[in-house]
Amino acid sequence: MKNKITLLLVSFFLLGFSANSFAQSEDDLVEICAMVAGDATFLKDFKIRLDAGDPPPTQRFSVILKKGIKYRFSVCNSNDFEGKVVLQLLDNNRLLATTYVVATGKDYPSIDYACTKTGAYHLFYSFRDGKPGLAVGLLSLVETM
Amino acid sequence: MQKLLILVISTAILMSSCRFFSNDDNISNDEFDIPDELYDDKPLEIASEVIDDMIQNVASPVETAALIKGLNIPFNKDYLANTEAETSLNTSFQKALGLGMYGADLGYINMYERTSLVLNHITAIKNLADGIQVGQFFDFSTLSRIATNRENIDSLVLISQQSFNRIDSYLRETNRAQLSVVIVAGVWLEGLYLSTRVAQDANNPRINETIGEQKIVMNSLMLLLNNYKKDPNVASLISDFEEIHALFRDVKITYEYNEPTPIEKDGVLTFQQNDKQTIEMSDETMQTIIEKVQKVRNKYLQS
Repeated sequence: MKNKITLLLVSFFLLGFSANSFAQSEDDLVEICAMVAGDATFLKDFKIRLDAGDPPPTQRFSVILKKGIKYRFSVCNSNDFEGKVVLQLLDNNRLLATTYVVATGKDYPSIDYACTKTGAYHLFYSFRDGKPGLAVGLLSLVETM
Repeated sequence: MQKLLILVISTAILMSSCRFFSNDDNISNDEFDIPDELYDDKPLEIASEVIDDMIQNVASPVETAALIKGLNIPFNKDYLANTEAETSLNTSFQKALGLGMYGADLGYINMYERTSLVLNHITAIKNLADGIQVGQFFDFSTLSRIATNRENIDSLVLISQQSFNRIDSYLRETNRAQLSVVIVAGVWLEGLYLSTRVAQDANNPRINETIGEQKIVMNSLMLLLNNYKKDPNVASLISDFEEIHALFRDVKITYEYNEPTPIEKDGVLTFQQNDKQTIEMSDETMQTIIEKVQKVRNKYLQS
């Protein structure tokens, strides 16, 4: 009887712990990402969660960026998952900026974008090699130009 | 006994893992439900996914204020909406619109670090947020403490922005997306109103351009609002906005496209956009837009 109660408690603990840790992890990621963004003024956060896939699944958000503002796009990965998030900024079909430069193989936790045209832009988030992942993207304002 | 232990623990882990990827999680931005009253024989004008996608950043309280401040234009509290008018906002529609308008003013106040004015505005915003059952997402106590003690101003902006984002997410998750769109409309209207007041006082070509650019933003906003035009209040707002929208037809915007230039300096990678945007707007058109915007804004909330 004592063993059964212990088992039950362990199960509930695991269940509760798992649920809480994921929820906290997302809030934590926003906080961490705000630190990565540095002095920039926070505008919006984007939560990205994707399963594994080939080709790698993407999560898309659209934003309106304004001429004369330098924006900062920051990304933060959850340590609980393998996936490393990549952001691609597009204007219609043109790739304008990315956090992962294929030519150099270099990953950037944040990139700046000096906007000269007001309009709708699309943020495509995916995880490298189609691995499952959890991440947060932040849009911040660096300065006006 | 060991088998039983493994079975129970596996079940617990499986249940928690399934929850993580479940579709009904609050954080997913992929979809949201359409309110029952909007179901009709006719299809929606734009898909819910598209609305959800478009709504992300149509109007921002911070960006307009930052652009104004960036031009070294001094702060003017006469531009702000009168917070005493908050008590006259009775319906959910009025409260949501007011929430957006006071939110835009709060962005302006925060950007200029006028903390002495923050308290009145956050009080008005909290009352309006409570009125549409989203007050729990507006962190009044922290904002009030920061403003009163003149603590970290960056936190004031951060918490204000996060509060508005949470309100927006919650409204969409609870099938009240139309209120979220009305809040966005309020932020946009007040932001444009602030720009028109600055344009009158400062006569700065960049501010005039900012007003002309609203033609682009307004196209998205009108699409969003039109999806809820069955609501008589939204229909009335659309009617007012259409009068502004019509004036923007005389604003001509042309583009020259060029590839962006990546520049890495001190470990920071910056992509310099090289597109050129040209806005042609006559003084007469500008003046008519200013007058119309101020008239519409004052109809909903007085200075």
